[in-house]
Amino acid sequence: MRAGPSQEDIRRHNLGALLRHVHLGGPISRAELTAKMGLNRSTIMALTSDLTAAGLVREELPRETGRAGRPSLVVRPESSRVYVFAFDVGPDRLAVARVGLGGVILDRKETVRRRGPFVVGELTGTLAGFARQMRRRTRDDTVCVGVAAAVSGGVRKGDGVIRFGPNLLTEDVPFGEELGRRLGLGLPVSVGNDANLAALAEHSRGVGVAVKDLIYLHGDVGIGGGIIAGNHLLGGHDGYGGEVGHMVVNPGGRACGCGSRGCLEAEVGERALLESAGRFPADQRGREAVRAVVEAADRGDIVAQEALKRVGDWLGLGVANLINIFNPEMVIFGGILREIYLGSAAQVRSRLALHAMAPQRERLRLRTSALADDATLVGAAELAFAHVLADPLEVLARAGT
Amino acid sequence: MTTPLLEVRGIDKSFGPVQVLHDVAFSAHAGEVTALVGDNGAGKSTLVKCVGGIYPIDSGDILFDGKPVQVHGPRDAGTLGIEIVYQDLALCDNLDIVQNMFLGRERRRGLVLDEASMEEMAQETLSGLSVRTVKSIRQQVSSLSGGQRQTVAIAKAVLWNSKVVILDEPTAALGVAQTAQVLELVRRLADKGLAVVLISHNMNDVFAVSDRIAALYLGRMAARVKTADVTHAQVVELITSGRSGDLGIMP
Repeated sequence: MRAGPSQEDIRRHNLGALLRHVHLGGPISRAELTAKMGLNRSTIMALTSDLTAAGLVREELPRETGRAGRPSLVVRPESSRVYVFAFDVGPDRLAVARVGLGGVILDRKETVRRRGPFVVGELTGTLAGFARQMRRRTRDDTVCVGVAAAVSGGVRKGDGVIRFGPNLLTEDVPFGEELGRRLGLGLPVSVGNDANLAALAEHSRGVGVAVKDLIYLHGDVGIGGGIIAGNHLLGGHDGYGGEVGHMVVNPGGRACGCGSRGCLEAEVGERALLESAGRFPADQRGREAVRAVVEAADRGDIVAQEALKRVGDWLGLGVANLINIFNPEMVIFGGILREIYLGSAAQVRSRLALHAMAPQRERLRLRTSALADDATLVGAAELAFAHVLADPLEVLARAGT
Repeated sequence: MTTPLLEVRGIDKSFGPVQVLHDVAFSAHAGEVTALVGDNGAGKSTLVKCVGGIYPIDSGDILFDGKPVQVHGPRDAGTLGIEIVYQDLALCDNLDIVQNMFLGRERRRGLVLDEASMEEMAQETLSGLSVRTVKSIRQQVSSLSGGQRQTVAIAKAVLWNSKVVILDEPTAALGVAQTAQVLELVRRLADKGLAVVLISHNMNDVFAVSDRIAALYLGRMAARVKTADVTHAQVVELITSGRSGDLGIMP
């Protein structure tokens, strides 16, 4: 029989839980923490003073309460002091953000990535360069506690190797290791699939807060997804779960970058929309090109309208399948799917009415991403903060303060 | 099923010899977007103006939160918490955002206006609705885009703790990017617990954000359905012919 958790384990767990409240919920009074965590006041006091001493939070008197009695101290995250680096590697953009505890984006830099071969050395060099520039601008008392990257591809659980990335034109790249070496911060780099991380971001800070079961669909060149069931991301056995873009909806349909045919991504992705609209190959690519089609449809361009309808039809079919299998409370459309959903909602929901089973669709909510273009970056930042929340004091001690 | 926040039953309304609404029933639930659709002249705007107290009704009942109420004028509707945002937006071009939001209901501190607290409340309302498109709340309304004006008009309704917000064609004059922002705002309004009524001709807008659809046909309520249960084709049929399969007005 396994022995129960030691006092030290319990303390570590409570410290992490308290920090999570402050990190996700923002400034909160000690009294509210006492109520939320179900611990007594002296325990909360001891925990906050440990976190304060470590420099993770600070306590302040509230501005004004308007009520009688001694006001409860408000616990705030040390957002400007404790931060992580979040990276996003998409088919068309590279982005770096310095994100403070509490989820505040302190600094960010973005550049266009030209589509072409994936040269890991060049790419990590650029990203690390951005991070170094940002670090030079920080004050001396700041501390970086984690690094994570979101990439548009399948990432192996555990070691951050990109196993497949048809839209990045890459496979089997030890991306996390390489980026960690280039950064030279002495910190491991966690790597995750961009849509998976965006799903987590919407779940913790976006439109899906307090929603236990949701499906996030991310449209870029391809279609990615993240499935959250019972508050947990379904990562799958090796970490490749949630690839809803490669669900076959039209056997014998359009060719997909993965080698198969008729995948959701092949019928709904950027190329499918642009080709149906007679705009492929185009000078514009990515989001701009997709937005141009939606705008043309809005102005009455019949070809663009038909293309959007066609894509909406397939998207609805894919979502209907997902709803029947997972019975989510919410489906979130992110990336270019935000524009595609809003521009073809009549088709998408008609498909749902026809193909999703009535009990599953009864209370389903369809929403667009609240974090918009930042979803993947915010998700990467949350991944970077994950181990800080698991063991706050240990991580901070290692970060060398 | 929960009690609708706003319910009207058996509304008749005539203008002289022309009967515009025949025995119309309609409801709006808290936390939901109810789309009111219908062809031009179907009676959408008349119905909304009856609820808003602009037109007196000939007969019928208006219930608010399950209780019968009398709405004799816009002031009564305002007191109940019903706010209508019209297509042409009653905003003053020569005033800034804060002044518009508090127009006629300015807060005072002694003899002077309490600018600081009005600014703070306006800012809080806008950020509570995740509005990030407006740069400064001291900007004059004349300098705002169509989507931003719509946003200010909607935020005004939220600021005054309205419970029912009725939007008449909020996206009619907007481009794609602004339409998307307004639709998301409409959805957030309902997610915050308000009952939202959306009048629209655009089926994508209706399907993108609504929970229920009420279709008017020649002054009669053809059908009230859940958006999840109908297709685009069915709704178009209801609008153009008043019936679709076993839905709608039976001959």
